[in-house]
Amino acid sequence: MFSFWAKSLVEKLITLFFISIISFSVVMLAPGDPSEIDPLNPKFTQEDIQRLRKAFDLDKPLPVQYYLFYKKLFTNELRSYKDNQPVLKKITERFLNSLPLFLVGTLLTWCLAFPLGIQAALRRQSLFDRSTTFFSYFFISLPSFFLAYVLIIFIVKVFNVPVIGLQTFGRESVSWWYLINDRIWHLVLPSVLSAIGGIAILSRYVRSQMLEVIEQDYVRTALAKGLPPDTVYYKHALRNALLPFVTMFGLTLPGLIGGSVIIESIFSWPGMGRLGYDAILARDYPLILSLNFIAACLVLVGTFISDLLYMVVDPRISLISESKG
Amino acid sequence: MSGAIAKRILIILPAVVLAILVQSYFWVPNYDHQTRGNPQRLTQYISASIGDVAIINPILNADSASSEICEKIFDGLIDRDENLKLRGRLATDWKIYEEVYFVVNDDPVWISKGLSTPEAVKEAIERAASSPQPENSFLRNIDHLDILPPCTEERVVSEQEANEQGGEGKEIKIKVSIRYPARIKATLREVNQDFFTQLEPLLGSGYFNQKRLSPYLAIDPPVYDTPERRTAYLSQYLPVVEHNPVIIFNLRRGVRFSDGHEFDADDVRFTYESIMDPANRSPRIPDFEPVKTLEVLDKYRVKITYKRLFQPAITAWGIGILPEHLLNKESLAREARGKNLDPAEFTMRQSDFNKLRPIGTGPFTFVEWRSDQYIKLVRNENYWEGAPHYREFIWRVIPDMLTQELEFYAGATDHYEARVHQVNRLKKDSRFQNFSGLSFSYTYIGYNLRRELFQDKRVRKALTMAINIPDIIQYVLYGEGEATTGPFLKQTEFYNHEVKPLPYDPDGALQLLREAGWERDEQGFLRKGGKYFEFSIITNNGNPYREAILIIAQNAWKKLGMKVSADRVEWSVFLEKHINVGNFDAVVLGWSMGIEPDLYQIWHSSQSGNYQLNFVGYNNPQADDLILKIRQEYDEKKQIEYCHKLHEIIYDDQPYTFLYVGRWTALLDKKIAILERDDQGREIIKRITPTKTGNYSFYFNKWIKFPQDPVFSTGFE
Repeated sequence: MFSFWAKSLVEKLITLFFISIISFSVVMLAPGDPSEIDPLNPKFTQEDIQRLRKAFDLDKPLPVQYYLFYKKLFTNELRSYKDNQPVLKKITERFLNSLPLFLVGTLLTWCLAFPLGIQAALRRQSLFDRSTTFFSYFFISLPSFFLAYVLIIFIVKVFNVPVIGLQTFGRESVSWWYLINDRIWHLVLPSVLSAIGGIAILSRYVRSQMLEVIEQDYVRTALAKGLPPDTVYYKHALRNALLPFVTMFGLTLPGLIGGSVIIESIFSWPGMGRLGYDAILARDYPLILSLNFIAACLVLVGTFISDLLYMVVDPRISLISESKG
Repeated sequence: MSGAIAKRILIILPAVVLAILVQSYFWVPNYDHQTRGNPQRLTQYISASIGDVAIINPILNADSASSEICEKIFDGLIDRDENLKLRGRLATDWKIYEEVYFVVNDDPVWISKGLSTPEAVKEAIERAASSPQPENSFLRNIDHLDILPPCTEERVVSEQEANEQGGEGKEIKIKVSIRYPARIKATLREVNQDFFTQLEPLLGSGYFNQKRLSPYLAIDPPVYDTPERRTAYLSQYLPVVEHNPVIIFNLRRGVRFSDGHEFDADDVRFTYESIMDPANRSPRIPDFEPVKTLEVLDKYRVKITYKRLFQPAITAWGIGILPEHLLNKESLAREARGKNLDPAEFTMRQSDFNKLRPIGTGPFTFVEWRSDQYIKLVRNENYWEGAPHYREFIWRVIPDMLTQELEFYAGATDHYEARVHQVNRLKKDSRFQNFSGLSFSYTYIGYNLRRELFQDKRVRKALTMAINIPDIIQYVLYGEGEATTGPFLKQTEFYNHEVKPLPYDPDGALQLLREAGWERDEQGFLRKGGKYFEFSIITNNGNPYREAILIIAQNAWKKLGMKVSADRVEWSVFLEKHINVGNFDAVVLGWSMGIEPDLYQIWHSSQSGNYQLNFVGYNNPQADDLILKIRQEYDEKKQIEYCHKLHEIIYDDQPYTFLYVGRWTALLDKKIAILERDDQGREIIKRITPTKTGNYSFYFNKWIKFPQDPVFSTGFE
């Protein structure tokens, strides 16, 4: 067991190292300069540009820049080009904004996708099954920004309530109850919108997995021997159908850092997605690379968690790795 | 875990999550219940803007967002009232007079006339002033005369030497020694731009001779003593006659900065000196360049002397006054040391004043600025004009127009600037009050008058008459605009409403073209001596109105038989490759303008070089003369008269096809009204009405928001 952990960890660290090199090269070699040292800006003299390049270490060879960058990242000395704020502080701030959106979105996705998928599988070919199928494909094909605008305009026009942003503006002094509910209300639309696509896709997977499992002999046997259908489907069948979703769950973790650029932009949500997007537009290298690095870490942590969850859900997997070790 | 429990969880969990989400709806405010859970909403005014503020310092900012915030925090000496006339703010009142200087001509010619000594000249003028002849009546304007004895002065001028490539070379230092001959200074009670032309007949024609003064100037080292430089230095340092208009401001007493420090004349001096300090790189330098000296007469009086006649110069004093005690050298040096920076290189630009703690005398004081999110101001309880009713002024950054609109519908902002296609619909919405007005700008088609094609006035008139301007306003602007005929703001008195616009008349246009020698050939194309009427029209891309006009104009002219190509160009390319270097035929553009009637930069023929604003190359000596007269005239009546004449001349020349002035429409929450008190202290609630010039927020400090639609006091509905 321990050797599996250690081996996996070493592998992941090596991967991370290569990712860091590749992402650094891609970002630095991409055309364009940070907007702070835009040579087309008439306000800047050549000396200004040189001075800024020097301040940003951009005058040094790439390997040195690489070394300096990661050194600064790990010692928390890295600062954004744009406003000279520490990068990690900026990311933490935005991360905390994105977190509730991610949590509620994920919660909605997984909470709703499973009942829908299971019911669709159990009542195969029924009206319910057909309509979930229809709506799944409907929402998968509908661009989320379009749906977002339609929903926003509808809600605001009909109810005259604020829906944009993290909370209603200017409500710092209200009591905690109003404050929390205000926050929750502002989560409703963006999280529902970011969940809709997920629910549509995930419920399809659940349905097909369930269908596959309930065709199995042991399910038929269990039903035949008189076990209550709920126990058969929701205990024995569901547990076996869960297996592929463990991988998927691990892979949702990087979504934390990527956020949803589109939803965050539409809702003026000061989250990670917009942070990254704006950083790319402004060629704010420290921010782009830090986000990139953290995203890579999260992907690796996600796969690591998936590996662990596999062992919980399916004991056979841990046995294999132990016998290998 | 039994299957039934798992099933129940799978149903209950999503239901609970959804229920929590949905119930929150009942606790959020909406347009009709903005105070839900937050009674303070009524004391806040929330405004939205597309871009963030750059710097909160009236002398350093260069963008409209920053200046809007600065206006709330800082007061100027003067500003404009409901009718766009100047009124006192930190200055209670001011006096304008003039000091004129001239060099006494000691050439032998004048000895015989007895006018070669200053004393003799002074006596001659005084004698003439007391004589009853009408041609000498202008001399009664003289308050007193002084004699300035000869003196010498040395100046060191540094210049950038041009190198062979035309770029800037090394800096050179030139020593200029000036021997001033005796001069006479006359203090005039009122500014008179014709003083010397009126005085010359009295002293004798040719008395004011600039060339004669050349020996009084020495340039060292002599290598640099070129004729051009000599002429330039002479007119700059030793002019034979000089107009120095003077403004004396009386300052308001007892006004305090929001930190409690009293405002006085030193703050005015400090603000001026900070603007002129090259280290601060203030974008306001051109406004204050005409200032010769600023003297503090006493704690509440400043005297500003100008280098030359330039009437619009006074409006520069609308600039917010900075607190000297917080930004002077000692304070900045202290701040620099606190930040471990070199005090010698630390300027006002780097100070935290501009970002973290701006302090002024204005109606609001600064609380906090979250970049890209909001700026929060709180009212100045001790504001000299009385504190505003709103407790907080919040200025939000909302880059997306749709979001701005939605936040307004939800009551999360108080104000929304409708786009033209929405005006018709939103004006009918009974939940909002709306205001409209003409913008301080106009849109036009400019013709490159250097091109042979456009040199005939009749041709330009024909081009204008071919375009259906009312249709453009109706269909491109959804009716939200007005036709304009001239270069002045339509809402000012400088605009000449007597000027009749050319009619939309394609046949008349053809007639004019025929007179100019353009005939249609059998295919319908206009030709003159075998040449087609062929040109291109361009505009910048990204502006849908200009792009629409581009096509409409092209189409209208094609119908006349012209060969017109149209193109849109990216903004910086548009400026660099076309406008700034005069490389275009016709162009669709717009000007946004200040209130002052100074047209020098856009219309004076001296401003038609590359990178200058008279890029169409307009050149009319009569107009040039009027343009100069207007900026030198301190009597408003005369100024208006000159403007009307100039307006007529420019419209008759048709260097532009003047198209329209846009109309803006702003929406405001209907629950906002004006609260005033009458003599007995009773509250009067008035409906917000715009001023004559369309400014509805002129009485902003008296605005108040009610929980429901307000009931207006009788007589003020």
